[in-house]
Amino acid sequence: MTFRRLLLAGAAAVLGPLGVITLVQAQSAGRQPDAKHGAVIVAQGTAAGAPPCAQCHAFNGVSDASGAFPRLAGQSAYYLTKQLRDFASGERANALMSPIAKALSPGDIADVSAYFVGVNAPFLPLKASDAALVKHGQELAKVGGAERRIQNCDNCHGPAGAGEPPTIPYLAGQYAHYIAFTLQMWRQGFRKNSLNTMGVIANKLDDEEIAAVAAYYQQVQSTLETVESQAKD
Amino acid sequence: MAETLKPVDVVTIGVGLTGSMAALEMAQSGLKVVGLERGAPRFTVPDFQSPAIHDELRFSIRKAMMQDNVKVAVTFRNNSNETALPIRRWESFLPGQGLGGSFVHWNGQSFRAQVADFVWRSHTIQRYGQKFLDACGPELTIQDWGVTYDELEPYYDRFEYLCGVSGKAGNIKGQIQPGGNPFEAPRSREYPNPPLKETYFGAIFRKGAESLGYHPYPQPSSNLSRPYTNPLGLKLEQCVFCGFCERDACEHYAKASPQTIILPVLLKNPNYELRTSCEVLRINLDSAGKKATGVTYVDGAGREFEQPAEIVFITAFPLNNVRTLLLSGIGKPYDPRSGEGVVGRNYSYQTTGGPTVFMDESVNINPFMSSGAPGTMIDDFSGDNFDHSKLGFIGGQYVGSIMTGGRPIEFHPTPPGTPPWGLEWKRAVARHYNHTILIQQHGTSMPSRLNYLDLDPTYKDAWGQPLLRMTFDFPENDIRMSQYIADKVVEIGRAMGGKIVVRGGTKRPYTTTVYQSTHNCGGAVMGDDPKTSVVNRYLQCWDVPNVFSLGASSFPHNITYNYTITIGAVTYWALDAIKNKYLKSPGPLVPA
Repeated sequence: MTFRRLLLAGAAAVLGPLGVITLVQAQSAGRQPDAKHGAVIVAQGTAAGAPPCAQCHAFNGVSDASGAFPRLAGQSAYYLTKQLRDFASGERANALMSPIAKALSPGDIADVSAYFVGVNAPFLPLKASDAALVKHGQELAKVGGAERRIQNCDNCHGPAGAGEPPTIPYLAGQYAHYIAFTLQMWRQGFRKNSLNTMGVIANKLDDEEIAAVAAYYQQVQSTLETVESQAKD
Repeated sequence: MAETLKPVDVVTIGVGLTGSMAALEMAQSGLKVVGLERGAPRFTVPDFQSPAIHDELRFSIRKAMMQDNVKVAVTFRNNSNETALPIRRWESFLPGQGLGGSFVHWNGQSFRAQVADFVWRSHTIQRYGQKFLDACGPELTIQDWGVTYDELEPYYDRFEYLCGVSGKAGNIKGQIQPGGNPFEAPRSREYPNPPLKETYFGAIFRKGAESLGYHPYPQPSSNLSRPYTNPLGLKLEQCVFCGFCERDACEHYAKASPQTIILPVLLKNPNYELRTSCEVLRINLDSAGKKATGVTYVDGAGREFEQPAEIVFITAFPLNNVRTLLLSGIGKPYDPRSGEGVVGRNYSYQTTGGPTVFMDESVNINPFMSSGAPGTMIDDFSGDNFDHSKLGFIGGQYVGSIMTGGRPIEFHPTPPGTPPWGLEWKRAVARHYNHTILIQQHGTSMPSRLNYLDLDPTYKDAWGQPLLRMTFDFPENDIRMSQYIADKVVEIGRAMGGKIVVRGGTKRPYTTTVYQSTHNCGGAVMGDDPKTSVVNRYLQCWDVPNVFSLGASSFPHNITYNYTITIGAVTYWALDAIKNKYLKSPGPLVPA
């Protein structure tokens, strides 16, 4: 079990009985998300016209090594649900995802999210990024940049980008291409479906810094290993 | 033997809020300024970043950002008949240490004082009469501040825009504004930023308070509601409600602190030099004791230096301002038997504590999603906003639901009757953690001739100098006030739907073992009369005119509110006079 999955399991065990409302629960009161039905949608699509998620994201949510499509395996269900709803409403505009999300019912969205959060998928072997770039990215991710008031990424995205579910997605093992692309979208104001925080931070980063944090998080492929290596330091 | 350094124009003793404000104004006026800070340098990046910063045990429980009381403690007793003992673990109040001072670990609760606060004695006598005041307590030593709200308004405005305070105006130039606090003193314009989003506990409080006819409003906050660039060109960001504001530093540039709103500009000024790990032992005076010649300090390596200066600003935590004056022999120490003397006189505190409201299990509060100043509140019982004529006390409290986070070590609400440990306790915490709302009562504390600060006759610090001794208990006036309001607030708790409402209110004796407030004030108060004040209306020492004692040590009584914004306003007011009058013609700004 990875560290991230431990966190998620812990969150469910601790927060659940305390009655923290998650978006999923709030949206489909009285109905529990059905991960098995989610798996069917991922594999076969829906009768309403949504294509199978697996076509781009793979059945286990690792997408492909191109990095054009984000890794979804183990991502917070709250986060995935919110993104799908934002794609559907146009809050997060995307020519590919918006029509697909519109074709999913609220129940479908909850089910697909419940499926992906539960997948424990491997990491695809990728070509190693430039070591100096990764090191620079690690510094930004873990320390930040004092001169231009850049806070570190781990503040919110968790130790080594493990995520802080339910609201904040993991970055560890996410594809560099996708992270860099998303930061550009935040920077240019095309993505704005959360607090002002990400837009402001993305605007402080230059292209090289964006490439660096993206390269760093892509190679953090097991947060458990990272946490262990930190403990040894 | 102390090494004498090259003279400078200005020294600040402490580099927190007032120290950085004063240094910037002076450096920009062309003066050479040295800032002496006893603690370490620290900055948002790298010092306030995760994972190190969200550490409740280190910062909140073990008080890592507070004054090192192994080296310098404060001794405490409730009255003059007792023997004071050193406070070895900060609990009741938390003086900060390190670059930025207490203005780093504050919550960002950003109020102005009321018009009446600055003329508290004359206002009280005018409205209720001398007999009424005497009946409230013959020991009370309330007095006017020597400055008025109208004089301070432009400086309040300037300081709020420096911080980027997020709030909703309730009174702009006398016009009541919907959505704001209808009781607030008139302001010249709207807050620089809109209020934070209302929390769920705030919304429940609003509904309950409104149903009883009170006037809820969003708490003004220096945790920002949106990105903001302050007049110094420094960019702040939007608060993310991480729940680790209190006793902690902000990792996001989202809370006003010297590090976020002043220091980056100050540290680039070629006229400024910061020296950290420098413990100031005393201000040195000339042979007549009428002029300061500089300060003596010890650096981190234990070397003693004398730093000559033309102007000395005492810019430490209020308690340490008073101690510095006493150690330097500036001003006559207060004598509680005769009532004569001024340094240490009118030390006052803050009345706090409110009810705990236990809600139904269906109401999910999620208290961990919070900022340092996320409250929804009412001012119906603040200061003199209600008629006291039949009540037998002066002063008041604001009331509000202000939960600064549901951090796991500190927040364990359990109803009365719950065992303090074991399985039943655990069950009760699990049942109530997410379904409990805390309401704050937070208000005035009146000065008394029985309460004061002086040097301890027994206990000394790491450098062999006497510790500050605090002699304090709440005046009966404050207890009557707090208990009266406690009854009203229980009604609000019930109107909120509370299943169990545990009544709050302040009791005697005051104890230093439970957190109450870090709003220690007075001891070196401002005023018009050298017999009852240490500094004049421009915070200039009556006895040594080239020494200025800035900050809440100058407040003659404690106001209803968290006092930081008023510190900023009074500091800007004083610095304006120093810049435009004193520097042109050094000497007393007010004839004694």
